[in-house]
Amino acid sequence: MMNTTIFAVIFPLLAAFAVWLIFRNKRLDRDRSVLAIVMLVISAVELAVVLCYLLCDWGFFGSGFFAAEIYVGVSGLGLHFIYTGFRGVFAVITAFAWFVTFLYAKEFMKNDTRVIRYDFFNLLTLGATMGIFYAADFFTLFFFFEMMSFTSFMWVAHRQTYASQYASGTYLGIAVAGGMAILMGIFIVYANFGTLEFEKLGTISVENTVPVLAAAVCMFLGFGAKAGAFPVHVWLPASYTEAPAPATTLLSAVLSKTGIFGLILITCELMPPLLWGSWGRLILIAGVITMVLGGIRAVMSGNLKTTIAYSSMSQIGFILVGIGMLALHGEFVEFLGQGRMFVTDEELASFYMTRNGVFLHMVNHSIVKLVLFLIAGVVFMNAGSYELNRVRGFGHGKPFLLVTFLLAACGVGGIPLFNGYVSKTLLHESIAEYAKLLGSVQGTMGVQGLSPAFVKAVEYLFLFSGGLTLAYMAKLFVVLFVERNEDTLLQDEYEGKKKYASVLSKAAIALCAVPIPLIGVLPNLVADSLATYGAEVSGGLSPFIEQVYYFSLNNLSGAVISVVVAVVVYLLVVRFLMLRRKNEGYHEIFPAWLDLEKYVYRDIFYRFFAFLLGIIARILDSIVDSIVVFLRKTVYKDRPIPYTLPEGNRMTHLLGKGMENVYRIYCAARKKEYRAKRYEHKLALRSMDLFENMRIIERSLSFGLFMFCVGLGLTMIYLLLVN
Amino acid sequence: MSYMVIMPVVLPVLLGIVLLLVPERIFANRKILINMTGVSFLLCAALSCFVISGAAGDEFILISQILHKVPVFFIIDNLGRLFAGLVTLVFVLVGFFSLSYMQNEEHEKRYYGFYLITYGVIMGIDFAGNIVTLYLFYELMTIVSMPFVLHKGTKEAVMAGLKYLIYSFCGAYMALFGIFFLYQFVPVFSKGMGLGMPYVWAFEEGGWYVMGLAAESGNSGLALVAAFLMILGFGVKAGLFPLHAWLPTAHPVAPAPASAFLSGIIVKGGVFAIIRTVFYCFGADALRGTWVQLVWAVLAIVTLIMGSSLAFKEKVLKKRLAYSTVSNLSYILLGLSMLNTTAFVGSMLHVVFHAVIKSALFLFAGALIFNTGRTKVNDFIGLAGRMPILYWCYTIVSLGLIGIPPTSGLVSKWYLAVGCLESGLNGISWIGAAALLVSALLTAGYLLPISIKGFLYAPVDSSLITKYHEPSPLMLVPILIFAALTIFFGLCPAPLISFISGIAAPLM
Repeated sequence: MMNTTIFAVIFPLLAAFAVWLIFRNKRLDRDRSVLAIVMLVISAVELAVVLCYLLCDWGFFGSGFFAAEIYVGVSGLGLHFIYTGFRGVFAVITAFAWFVTFLYAKEFMKNDTRVIRYDFFNLLTLGATMGIFYAADFFTLFFFFEMMSFTSFMWVAHRQTYASQYASGTYLGIAVAGGMAILMGIFIVYANFGTLEFEKLGTISVENTVPVLAAAVCMFLGFGAKAGAFPVHVWLPASYTEAPAPATTLLSAVLSKTGIFGLILITCELMPPLLWGSWGRLILIAGVITMVLGGIRAVMSGNLKTTIAYSSMSQIGFILVGIGMLALHGEFVEFLGQGRMFVTDEELASFYMTRNGVFLHMVNHSIVKLVLFLIAGVVFMNAGSYELNRVRGFGHGKPFLLVTFLLAACGVGGIPLFNGYVSKTLLHESIAEYAKLLGSVQGTMGVQGLSPAFVKAVEYLFLFSGGLTLAYMAKLFVVLFVERNEDTLLQDEYEGKKKYASVLSKAAIALCAVPIPLIGVLPNLVADSLATYGAEVSGGLSPFIEQVYYFSLNNLSGAVISVVVAVVVYLLVVRFLMLRRKNEGYHEIFPAWLDLEKYVYRDIFYRFFAFLLGIIARILDSIVDSIVVFLRKTVYKDRPIPYTLPEGNRMTHLLGKGMENVYRIYCAARKKEYRAKRYEHKLALRSMDLFENMRIIERSLSFGLFMFCVGLGLTMIYLLLVN
Repeated sequence: MSYMVIMPVVLPVLLGIVLLLVPERIFANRKILINMTGVSFLLCAALSCFVISGAAGDEFILISQILHKVPVFFIIDNLGRLFAGLVTLVFVLVGFFSLSYMQNEEHEKRYYGFYLITYGVIMGIDFAGNIVTLYLFYELMTIVSMPFVLHKGTKEAVMAGLKYLIYSFCGAYMALFGIFFLYQFVPVFSKGMGLGMPYVWAFEEGGWYVMGLAAESGNSGLALVAAFLMILGFGVKAGLFPLHAWLPTAHPVAPAPASAFLSGIIVKGGVFAIIRTVFYCFGADALRGTWVQLVWAVLAIVTLIMGSSLAFKEKVLKKRLAYSTVSNLSYILLGLSMLNTTAFVGSMLHVVFHAVIKSALFLFAGALIFNTGRTKVNDFIGLAGRMPILYWCYTIVSLGLIGIPPTSGLVSKWYLAVGCLESGLNGISWIGAAALLVSALLTAGYLLPISIKGFLYAPVDSSLITKYHEPSPLMLVPILIFAALTIFFGLCPAPLISFISGIAAPLM
């Protein structure tokens, strides 16, 4: 039992290679169903294994933690695995999600020619995701996180169309950049703490908190990118839309949770209490923006899958708000409450309640998104499109789809008696409690909490986003099940379709939909005990907290506010703005020039910065070469080859040229026609004459006698001068 | 003391000279040439392995004094073993690749001859026991590797060859100045005492007492200048800014396997010489905290960002890889400049990993050029369907160079970055670690698109593509081995790390 955790990680990786080796050369038309069944078996085994861990631990030990720490000497630092309740629950959800998507993929991928490649990368991603959830230190986390980023890249790129190439480019860019940011954060943590193990990190206190905060912000960029948090969410809508439906399901239900898992680890294991305040504020602000922006874009989208993708982003925003509140409650317990010298049970309880809320909303969101994306896939299989105008009226005469969709819509919308209500109530309570607690210490010395107005704003935005959630789910529901398609032929075709999905696909959807009312109707029994077991990320059970009255009037009123907001938003935005143009159906109303991905990330980060760096680098690159060229043009310039004059000497040449020029100027001045006088030539002839005459004279006897006389004369003068 | 020690140097040089001198007509049948060369490769490698294992003893003095009382002296220590083993590995694999690749090129015999000679000379660098012997072989290496660049004989190749020569000699003279300066500080007591030679001027782990003696004679400022010039001079081979420009000029004109050897091994000669200078002559303590360390680190950071950015913008595949070499060698130099154990381990790991990866990348480029006759990156779109194994190997080694688990690049980058942060140099330590990651991001930007466009994009000219196919086994197997090593070192680098830690411990 102790050392088996690693099996869940290794098994899918080995299975991936085995499957690839066996099926690589097989003819797909015959072996397609064999392959699908093999995948199903593999994922069933995986599910059984992780369920076994969970049941053994929960049933026998009942501890939420058992020391299954394993060390594998990989990469020089070693991989550490650990089992805790939180990890156990999410491992089960992961394996379950893979199981149902394989169940579903048998039909969905039946005409796909690249199904072996898809399955290969799918299994690799499963192994990597298990590695993430069982990681016991940051290095292991990073190791599998990067693996997962790269293998899941193939999901987005799977269809190999232009749109998927574009989307996968963004996905990979953000994933690599995020990975590097995480790595930077890990370096800083390692340099400051000397260890990366979660268990030890919590016990070490550091004096200098600035590097720790820097590390956390770096890691936020990386983990937040995978989750879809605000400034780094840009890859999300296009990638979710482009990936095949089973892959999108996994991206949203599981892979986004790995990012959240990383953020929770930072909050609970890494952050020293001193930093909880600033870290909580950061996450809270990012979360609020994510939550509201995702909701707004989901309402305004004219595409079924994109709407659900933005819905994912919005729900991730809810979870981030929860994590932010968790840190703030932690800070309150640690510092702010200290103004009164003691911590009340109420404060502690609201801390634990926030934690349960975060955990439960993660679980709920996974379940709900499984159902929604699978249903979107069913629609795509039949209608061949995700466009709202095209799929309008698809759901008529399909009670199974109606029921499951309604369950999921109510679940994600936070309607009482469905699962989302439970977690949203906890998160809402947490904000409300924080405001109350803050009020109780106002005026005490040294209190530096958030301003009450800010907390109030967060609470209202929270409820507003809950309303947005309901509004866009209502939009989808009306489009699919209430309205009829403008194209009546198509509508008849839709209504005539009775075999719109295979039994396996329906079973997959049904399996995912079962827990939605289960958690919602019996929150105290199911949700609370699940949270008690799993909410504590570092292991151990959550302490017992006073039972939450989920269906109290106070809590129900939050849901009512959300419903009112939903009705207003739906009528105003969807019915009025999106359907404004007659006979054109739904159309996108979010302004295209606000596209963060295209205009900020691609244009500024990718093109402009690369261009700038390129120019600087080009200048640096050519410094020495240009110095060499400069020297060759100046100091080391070749001397011109000496030029011999054809006639005359240098003197006559210069003189003749000068006289020629003077004559030319003279002519110009007198406006006479210039005719070359060839002074150069004439002078040369003259000098040659002179030279020859001189030679004749020099060689004559007379010249010798003449020189003799000169010599005698000079001697005489000298003698005269001396005497 | 045994003559066997210099046999890995002598044998390849002799074989190479024989190959060069034998007249062309004997090899009328190409098979004879190939078989002879292949056997020579294996013979040299086997001999080197024997000597590296230490069975042949580990010191040798050639009694010929090139400076006053300074002989040519060989010693085999662990650092030399690491480099020599790496050189031998790459030499054999790239050599066998070239046996297949070079059939399309002229002057095959000349190429193999110089290839063998270069190998011998590099072994001489790795086994050199003092700085003068090292310098001797270093200069020789420049000269005997010149024919690789000149190989094609075009005007472009000649210009590139001249550039290579000028840059290398510039660097060598700077280094020579440093050696002349060091000459005053020959340690009186050194390893040579046991061998009956008082002044072998052998390398000492942790360096000589240079700075102390220099300070006594009032020359400590000059000593630092000498150290800096030696780093800058030897750094020319290692592509250190500002004298890096020969690399991207020389690589594209050389035949692909020669580029692999240049980029994987010959440039590491500069790194090796810097290690010997800094850690075995001056000593790490002498430079720690001085302006030399600071300038060195800054130059390395500038180079590594510059190299990556230029590679990112480059369209010619081999030139892109050459700029990538500039950048990656600066990872190594940055690690060395930190002067601490962790970063040193990271540097040595990166020496090994980069040699393996960059050789594989150039061989990949060679295989593509051999197959298609094209050189631009955009000519290779959609080819992966025709040569999946080649492209898979490329993808694996690219991930290795970026540093994605479970490949080896992550391990070296980990040690380098943690070493940077540990160094405690104000500012530089943070900027260094961040620069490593920015550069890794750019690396992803210039390597991955080739793989992605190969696998996922439709080919530009689909009629042409059917004639391309997976390269011959002689070309594919070396690349496969390199790719397998990248994964292997990523999964269990522990023995290598402990070996390098053993080298690093006495140096700091």
